Amino acid sequence: MELKNDSLLRLQDIEKSFTGVHALKGVQFDLKPGEVHALVGENGAGKSTLVKIMTGIVKKDAGEIFYLNHLFNPRDPKHSLEMGIGIIHQELNMMDHLTVAHNIFIGRESTSFGGLLLDERTQNRRAEELFKRLNMNIDPTEILGDLTVGKQQMVEIAKAVSHNLKVLILDEPSAALTLTEIAELFSIMRDLRNQGVGMIYISHRMDEIGAITDRVTVMRDGEYVGTQLTKEITTQQIINMMVGRVIYEEPKTKSNVPTGAPVVLKVDKLNAGKLVKDVSFELHKGEILGFAGLMGAGRTETARAVFGADPIQSGMMYIHGKPVKISRPADGVKFGIGYLSEDRKRFGLALNLTVKENAVLASYEDYQKNLFIQAKEVEEVTDEYVKKLQIKTPSIDQIIRNLSGGNQQKVVIAKWLIRNSEVLIFDEPTRGIDVGAKSEIYSLMSELAAAGKSIIMISSELPEVLRMSDRIIVMCEGRVTGELDISEASQEKIIEYATMRG
Amino acid sequence: MALLNREKARRFREKSMQRLLAPAALVLLYLFFGFFGRNFFSYNTFVNILDASYYIGFLALGVTFVIITGGIDLSVGTVMMAAAIIGGTAYRTWGWPMWASLILIMVIAIGFGFFNGFMVAKLKLPPFIATLGTMMISMGIGSIVSNVRSAAFPPRTEADGWFRDIFKIITEDRFAIPTGAVVLFSVAIIFHIILTRTKMGRYIFAIGSNKEAARLSGVNVEKWQMSAYVVSGVAAGISGISFPAVYTTVMPAQGQGFELFAIAGAVIGGTSLAGGSGTIFGTLIGVFIMAVLRNGLPSMNLQAHYQTFFTGVVVVGAVLLDMYRTKKTTEVRVLTPADAYKGDMALAIDQKKRELAEAKSAGDSKKVGFLEAEFKKLHAESTETYKKMKAEEKAEAARVLAEEKAAEKEFRDLLKNEK
Repeated sequence: MELKNDSLLRLQDIEKSFTGVHALKGVQFDLKPGEVHALVGENGAGKSTLVKIMTGIVKKDAGEIFYLNHLFNPRDPKHSLEMGIGIIHQELNMMDHLTVAHNIFIGRESTSFGGLLLDERTQNRRAEELFKRLNMNIDPTEILGDLTVGKQQMVEIAKAVSHNLKVLILDEPSAALTLTEIAELFSIMRDLRNQGVGMIYISHRMDEIGAITDRVTVMRDGEYVGTQLTKEITTQQIINMMVGRVIYEEPKTKSNVPTGAPVVLKVDKLNAGKLVKDVSFELHKGEILGFAGLMGAGRTETARAVFGADPIQSGMMYIHGKPVKISRPADGVKFGIGYLSEDRKRFGLALNLTVKENAVLASYEDYQKNLFIQAKEVEEVTDEYVKKLQIKTPSIDQIIRNLSGGNQQKVVIAKWLIRNSEVLIFDEPTRGIDVGAKSEIYSLMSELAAAGKSIIMISSELPEVLRMSDRIIVMCEGRVTGELDISEASQEKIIEYATMRG
Repeated sequence: MALLNREKARRFREKSMQRLLAPAALVLLYLFFGFFGRNFFSYNTFVNILDASYYIGFLALGVTFVIITGGIDLSVGTVMMAAAIIGGTAYRTWGWPMWASLILIMVIAIGFGFFNGFMVAKLKLPPFIATLGTMMISMGIGSIVSNVRSAAFPPRTEADGWFRDIFKIITEDRFAIPTGAVVLFSVAIIFHIILTRTKMGRYIFAIGSNKEAARLSGVNVEKWQMSAYVVSGVAAGISGISFPAVYTTVMPAQGQGFELFAIAGAVIGGTSLAGGSGTIFGTLIGVFIMAVLRNGLPSMNLQAHYQTFFTGVVVVGAVLLDMYRTKKTTEVRVLTPADAYKGDMALAIDQKKRELAEAKSAGDSKKVGFLEAEFKKLHAESTETYKKMKAEEKAEAARVLAEEKAAEKEFRDLLKNEK
């Protein structure tokens, strides 16, 4: 028993595969007592999978976990919690209708009369003691749903701490917090650090990582990149580690659209809901029109309104100069618009149907004769596009759930190409897609534009916008605040427009 | 590659097994009652099984459409009865001709189908609530129109009893021809074709799998969702004709509970209540399993109400089995070094096989003998090594598990002492 060894939790050569994806490849991680250890990486880098393995939510395929120098294999979250490893998820997992104390002690309530009745008073007192120890000011008898999100988060932390944790994992806890609440969270974390608790902190906010963490571990595409002392590394270095050798950051310097290319789609003074206000723009044949802006700028909402997915209040749309009325997606499809949602799984794919069925979902009208579907033609056209787009699937009868993100995205693209759409709206086309597959999607988009398709690309990643677009529309709070030709565009200019309140 | 093919073969085996499981259960059940029941293996019993399968059968076929869209239709039983009793009242009390009464039955049932579809697709009511309402409304209407009197349809001896021949013809020497089976299978085949070969079928699956994705692909979700409920209404109408054809009298309060048997039939047949999957063939099997139970249990001196009990057991068992199988087929298998070795060796063996075939066709007997010996050796060696590696891996896994357990015990003691 050499408890002096400085590792609290150590993971070695962790491997994990899901259907179609190799999520973790030989990942290392180690956590010391009384340390705040940042775990960073882009979306899909494998951070969540790794902490899920630590807490037994997901089983590892291979590799070893050592906890206090003992081989440890968590069976489920309950098991790991018993052993002193707790997690606070990004979304709160609590019961809004119960009191704060009920939430904290759920499953291990204080009882009287030999377990027959609940002893509310003792329970509330225990909660109060807990809050005092953590310097939190919360009334245990209050209904949880009445608290602010920040306070609810505090309760969740208190609940975790009440289990006598040695390891606390915080998965993007600050996402929904205000600045004061974050400061409060940090002071609680410092207290816990002084008590010897090891914490794993997952966050996308670089400033927070510098403020609270001692070490940083970076992951990329399911692989371990490296671990550094926070004070010895700059934010830029962390970002470089996260992104790796990026081939796709090379920005476009001039538009590929010939001057005088006809306008395919014209939107004039479009109003829809709260986030689309007087939006006007033109889309030319063969153009990639980038839509940039911060979260909630109204880009997705604009796209959905143009496509007919959401109702519009006013405004005109013209396809090839002719005014059109688009009030449902079926209209948008009819006029040759295809929409590729940012959330493929919810809005883009019928996950338990096959590649074939998804690929022709928008075009069954073209593949039926005398009421019957022409199965052979459907197979032929799907085969054709599987080859053209290089979709990696064992067969066109494969259930689409089993494909990787990049290949799923390609099937959605195939769906609109088979429908022969002229205008393709890509909403965050590379979200949740491996780096390798990303550049494939990029070259595919360029080829499509070169072949005369018109593309609207919504993206929150500025390098992506600068690499792909011929022209850039910037939105802020539902309005178009700027329009840039690619030759004059830069990250700074886009950000300036994106924060310009119309 | 060889490994991949093997994986494919395994998937395929599991899939086809799943498909054959329900029919196999049906055949086994039939044989079981045949051997252990009294007079079960007879033509009469066979016809009785068919007779008992019609009304639930049609309902189940219709409700399968609705369930695949991710909805539910609780009203089929009472709609079927309401339609039948109003048809009977029209014939008996209002003096309508038989054919008009039958058409009325269909019209009423289809009307309720439209009503359900309208509430679910256009008014966006949850299917459970909408069809629960229709269930009560239709039962009420049946009672109101019939004045809470039962309606007796004409017996075979009357001229108007001709409609019974649609479901069973009895010849002069009292031989029964179950024509209803032809109707049931025809409807099943038509429904099957709609579901698998037409746009409507594809859209119904797509809506059940992901309604929003279907809508954003330009599918007119409201229209096709509605159509599923209309199909359910059509099926309820046919069922409403088959019921009096077999059982003569229709009573106002009847029909409640039939919808649950219909849903049970679909579920036993592998239709998922979550939507997006299901087959007509499966539903038919589910219905026949229930019908066999209903006729088989009395032949073993168990009352017919044991049917309800055993049907319940079958429903739970079938769904459990289905869940287990889906889990199995979607599991990722981790390839160990032993598996990798086996894959490599399979490739090498294939290579040898090709060489052997080449040598054989070339007629080089010396080479053939040499290659054959080598082939056998390789085969034996690979099997042997694979077995050994697999055993080692198993032992290693057991050792790690034991070590983990021991560590955990030690660890718990440590925590206890700390406290």
